[in-house]
Amino acid sequence: MADGGRHTPLAPPAARQGPGPMPHALLDALAIAVTQRVAGALPGDRRAAGVGQGTELAQIRPYTFGDDVRRIDAAATARTGEPHVRLEVPERTLTTWLVLDVSASMAFGTAERLKADVAEGVALALGRLSLRHAGRLGILTFGAGEPRLLPPRGSKAGLVALRRALADGVAADGVHDPHALADALGRVGRVARQPGLVVVVSDFREQHDWARAMGSLRARHAVLAVEVHDPREAEIPPVGRIAVVDPETGYRMEVDTSRPQIRARFAALEAERRETLTSELRRLRVDHAPLSTGEDWLLHLGRRLR
Amino acid sequence: MSLATPLALSFGAPLGLLALLAIPLALLALYAARRRRTAYAIRFPAATSLAVAAGSVSSWRRHVPAALALLALAALALALAKPQRTVAVPVAGASVVLVTDHSGSMSATDVEPDRLSAAEAAAETFLGKLPKPTRVGVVAYSDGPDGTLAPTTDRERVRQTIEAQSANGATATGDALQVALDTLAPDGRKAARPASAIVLLSDGKTTAGRDPVEVARIAKRLGVPIYTVALGTADATIPNPISPLSPPIAVPPDPETLKEIADVSGGRAFTSDDANQLRGIYSSLGSRLATRHEQREITAGFAGAGLVLLLAAGLFSLPRVGRLP
Repeated sequence: MADGGRHTPLAPPAARQGPGPMPHALLDALAIAVTQRVAGALPGDRRAAGVGQGTELAQIRPYTFGDDVRRIDAAATARTGEPHVRLEVPERTLTTWLVLDVSASMAFGTAERLKADVAEGVALALGRLSLRHAGRLGILTFGAGEPRLLPPRGSKAGLVALRRALADGVAADGVHDPHALADALGRVGRVARQPGLVVVVSDFREQHDWARAMGSLRARHAVLAVEVHDPREAEIPPVGRIAVVDPETGYRMEVDTSRPQIRARFAALEAERRETLTSELRRLRVDHAPLSTGEDWLLHLGRRLR
Repeated sequence: MSLATPLALSFGAPLGLLALLAIPLALLALYAARRRRTAYAIRFPAATSLAVAAGSVSSWRRHVPAALALLALAALALALAKPQRTVAVPVAGASVVLVTDHSGSMSATDVEPDRLSAAEAAAETFLGKLPKPTRVGVVAYSDGPDGTLAPTTDRERVRQTIEAQSANGATATGDALQVALDTLAPDGRKAARPASAIVLLSDGKTTAGRDPVEVARIAKRLGVPIYTVALGTADATIPNPISPLSPPIAVPPDPETLKEIADVSGGRAFTSDDANQLRGIYSSLGSRLATRHEQREITAGFAGAGLVLLLAAGLFSLPRVGRLP
């Protein structure tokens, strides 16, 4: 927690594989799924700055030359004797917030690609979807010291910001903040005023006390939690004595993986951890998409959201 | 025959002790190996769970194989230096003559229960401590040497002779010493037998016979050291044998003369004023007279210990670590 410095260097992980192919057909299917997820918001829930087409009254003002005559409000005109137009609050487009884990533990993967690669793919896919139909995308990266917030931007600007944020990579080893996720979710809750979609992409590993922040986000937004995991984190193969180091805490240890009871206990602990995570997300009624580094993550994301 | 205890452990090749320097080197190597093993660790985000799963091995248990191996190394390094143990070996054909005073003053009760009984008990201890093959002679004396036993290995007869004493008469130390010398070196020449000694116990001044210091010189010439024990306290008295009404007779010991006897003959002088101390003196005399100190090499023992320790280290370490520490 103490090492949450502002200038933690970010770098693309050495073993970066990239997110892999993202077929358009799959992306389109995913778009349907995502739209259905966020369709809970009523028309008019989302408002844009200024005035424009909408259902909610913004103001009634005297008619000036150039106003659309169809906007003239009959009742106000009759009361005042002067033609008045009725202007509405425009319905805002969907704002998506991408809460992206860039902690050092994401730079790990033993199957097809790294966890960071899967996270990058998810961010790209959902980011592109969110930028369609004039949507806007805000990004918050956490896990590398001070969280970095990129305010919501639409269209190409949003895509450029997303690509830049993804190109920065993940934090160097040695940064550990067990409250990074909770802080990030709290910050999104304060910044995102209009209801929208919040996508949390993380491995949810070694993070504490985030459930409360997630719950208050869920009260206003559609929340999608994408959990990225690696098969090696679920069970460890018998490869004799190995020395392992936790990338975030720097904790070193030597362990004899040829002992079955250690492997069994490890598998049980990890299964319990993921079970706890799943039940917690279910309790919060947050969509949970667990993605493995060893599978076709796009396919699984789509299936999960269907 | 020396009474000084030599060092119990000595080394035939002390330069071999330099091999002990291997221990700090081994420690350094061990430390470096440990560092190297964890220096190139695998990044693993689930390391915390793995640590919980592996459980914590108590720190002392983690260090047992290394400690055993280092001990083995130490034992082997010591073995290289040819360690020797000093052992007491009975001298073949050694003989000791106990010269015991049983003059009237030995009935004084300043020593529990009385001087003569204490002396007899101490002599018993002495016999117990002497090596079996050592011959023991006895010269009991008062007015003159009366109970004489030539050096023999038959302890029973020695005991009988000692117990047969009763306290009365004068103190003829010189004559008694002469008799003792005669039994050890019958022909008046330098004692042919190796390692002969006289243990003289007396409690008073020589009151009869020849000058004991004179005899001590002869003993020196014959190569027989006289170990003297002065028994009794300075203010001891015995009831006057003439009449119970007469003033008691003072019977202080005479440590000066006895010391002179010991010095002249090349022995050592002891003084004692209670039974326990007396027994202690006799006990140490018994274990040192008639024995010789020999250096026995115990390299094999050290090497064996090193081997056993090494095996133990391996047994401890191989199943759980898969290598020697």
